[in-house]
Amino acid sequence: MKNPVMFLCVIFMALAACKNNQAQNESNTPTSLSSELGAETVYACPMHPEIKGKKGDNCSKCGMSLTEAKATEAATTNPDVSTGLQTGGAVSIKEIVNGYLLLKNGLAAENSKDAATAGKTLESAFKSFDKKTLNAEQKKVYEEIEEDAREHAEHIGANSGNIEHQREHFETLSKDIFDLVKVFGSEQTLYQDSCSKYNKGKGAIWLSETKEIRNPYLGEKISACCIRKGEIK
Amino acid sequence: MTLLKKISLIFIIILALIQFIQPARNQNGQVLDTDISKIVFVPENVQMLLKKSCFNCHSNYTNYPFYIYIQPAGWFLSYHIQNGKEKLNFSDFGSYSKRKQESKLKSIAEQIENDVMPLASYTFIHRDAILAIEDKNVIINWANNTRDSLSH
Repeated sequence: MKNPVMFLCVIFMALAACKNNQAQNESNTPTSLSSELGAETVYACPMHPEIKGKKGDNCSKCGMSLTEAKATEAATTNPDVSTGLQTGGAVSIKEIVNGYLLLKNGLAAENSKDAATAGKTLESAFKSFDKKTLNAEQKKVYEEIEEDAREHAEHIGANSGNIEHQREHFETLSKDIFDLVKVFGSEQTLYQDSCSKYNKGKGAIWLSETKEIRNPYLGEKISACCIRKGEIK
Repeated sequence: MTLLKKISLIFIIILALIQFIQPARNQNGQVLDTDISKIVFVPENVQMLLKKSCFNCHSNYTNYPFYIYIQPAGWFLSYHIQNGKEKLNFSDFGSYSKRKQESKLKSIAEQIENDVMPLASYTFIHRDAILAIEDKNVIINWANNTRDSLSH
């Protein structure tokens, strides 16, 4: 009779050990990362953070001696990034737009599997998008759109083989991406197309990188019900 | 003791032991400020249908069936509720952005229209959660109208 109980104890202990191991691994990574970053000491002017140099140097603008700045701080005061913060521009949503276009092309080609893969690409583009470059107002707009759009991308990614359901999510996603592009602009010219037949005649819009119409809602063969409504540069 | 006896004994002991690990209950006493009924207009008949067919998995108030006490069935149920609430929680509707609220209402109408929800695996046991055609239309119309009112 003792044996099964012992056996159970061993299982529980093994499970507990596994959990501990995971926790340790997780806590290890961030520390090693930050210590690597910390090794790189940068000196910058306290008044003009864009002026950087070695220890003992003076600022070329005001003559103050440079003080120690942490590597992470140096990264946020990187000239490119700070211009973005000040002017409110220079934000690239290229990866997000690319993921969306890939998805659109998958649906137009009636390829649910490609659409699902593109959905996952789009989801990770949202995940890896660097919000630090946004100012407070941009961040608010971005986060509201992302909250919705990311979920649609995730669903499309999880519903390979169910193209109609993917299209339902694509409809709302298209509105989200359209609003996102309106605020942040696009590096490439995009066309706003519309299909009047989809959704029992209610119609739906999408964005395309080509002038040629390829209907993602009903398949590229059906284009008589589609028009190009506008152009976004 | 034969090997078969040993194995079945271990199995029974494990089954007995897991009965002690009861999942946490999804029952929040008060109606939150973020509850859908405090955000948009929910007519009584719609509220009744939602409660009957949706709230068990999509709100903070689950009306638990007897098998919650029997493991692992209770765990399975618990996992389902957690998953359902992640996708849509009627008790937390007010915390969604307006964009997401509209999006969720659109999905509610679509999922009901396409008979995806309530899940067949759920209605298999919970026969009372099955929606009649007229019930479906009531929910679909409500969801679509509410969505339109949000976007204007």
